[in-house]
Amino acid sequence: MRTSLIETEQIEAHLLQLTAPGDALVFEARLLLDNDLQEKLQWQNETYNIVKIYSRNQLKKEIETIHQSLFNDAKHKSFSQKIRQLFSKR
Amino acid sequence: MPEVGILVKTAEEREKLFIALYKSAFPAVARYISKMGGSFDEAKDIFQDALVIFYEKAVTNTSLIKTNEKAYLLGISKHLWLNKFKDNNLHTSIDGMDIIIGDDEEQPSESRLMHFLETAGKKCMDLLRSFYYDQLPLADAARLFGFSGVRSATVQKYKCLEKVRETIKERSLTYEDFLN
Repeated sequence: MRTSLIETEQIEAHLLQLTAPGDALVFEARLLLDNDLQEKLQWQNETYNIVKIYSRNQLKKEIETIHQSLFNDAKHKSFSQKIRQLFSKR
Repeated sequence: MPEVGILVKTAEEREKLFIALYKSAFPAVARYISKMGGSFDEAKDIFQDALVIFYEKAVTNTSLIKTNEKAYLLGISKHLWLNKFKDNNLHTSIDGMDIIIGDDEEQPSESRLMHFLETAGKKCMDLLRSFYYDQLPLADAARLFGFSGVRSATVQKYKCLEKVRETIKERSLTYEDFLN
């Protein structure tokens, strides 16, 4: 792996607390001395948050597609009728 | 009833799982929401949020949901429904403490970034999703995305992480209020 990717891997290990204690100390010392590394760490942390939001949005879209299929496709008619009846009595 | 705790590797497997969960658990959830005076759309929203919570728990800790998925989903749905009322009450209370629990609401600038990532960065985002969100083992992700092996999948993962990190940085500095 090229150097920058190894650094990305090290940042990940630090953020996910996977670094061995000795290595963690070395990395923390590097962080104190290297503003550039600090900044990368901050943005990488943000990246995991964004990946989570993205993934959740994608999952919600998948679930919505399934919902539409269950409530519009003829093959699921008895299921959808059973559910709709619960809301039609009021 | 699907066996949860199994690894969901592909979109097709997820679809099968969610259809099965819909059929087994949604009737009870809908009955509950209806009894509580809620609408079909409210039942749908609550259940879909419950499915997301269920999925996130199931992929990170498979031993957590070993018993009865139907009871688990009904439990989460009831909790979400009651929280919804609590939230509504909070909105009308005088201290007006609007706390949204467990919700990743996007800011407008974040939506623009997300839109960019969904289009231009989709390939990388889908790969990162499989690693970090779907918790797919490297070997499975390598197969799914057509890499020759674990090693090249790992390299690609870090390349994507780096690329997305730089994109977020550049775009966020452009959308000045991103982090505020």
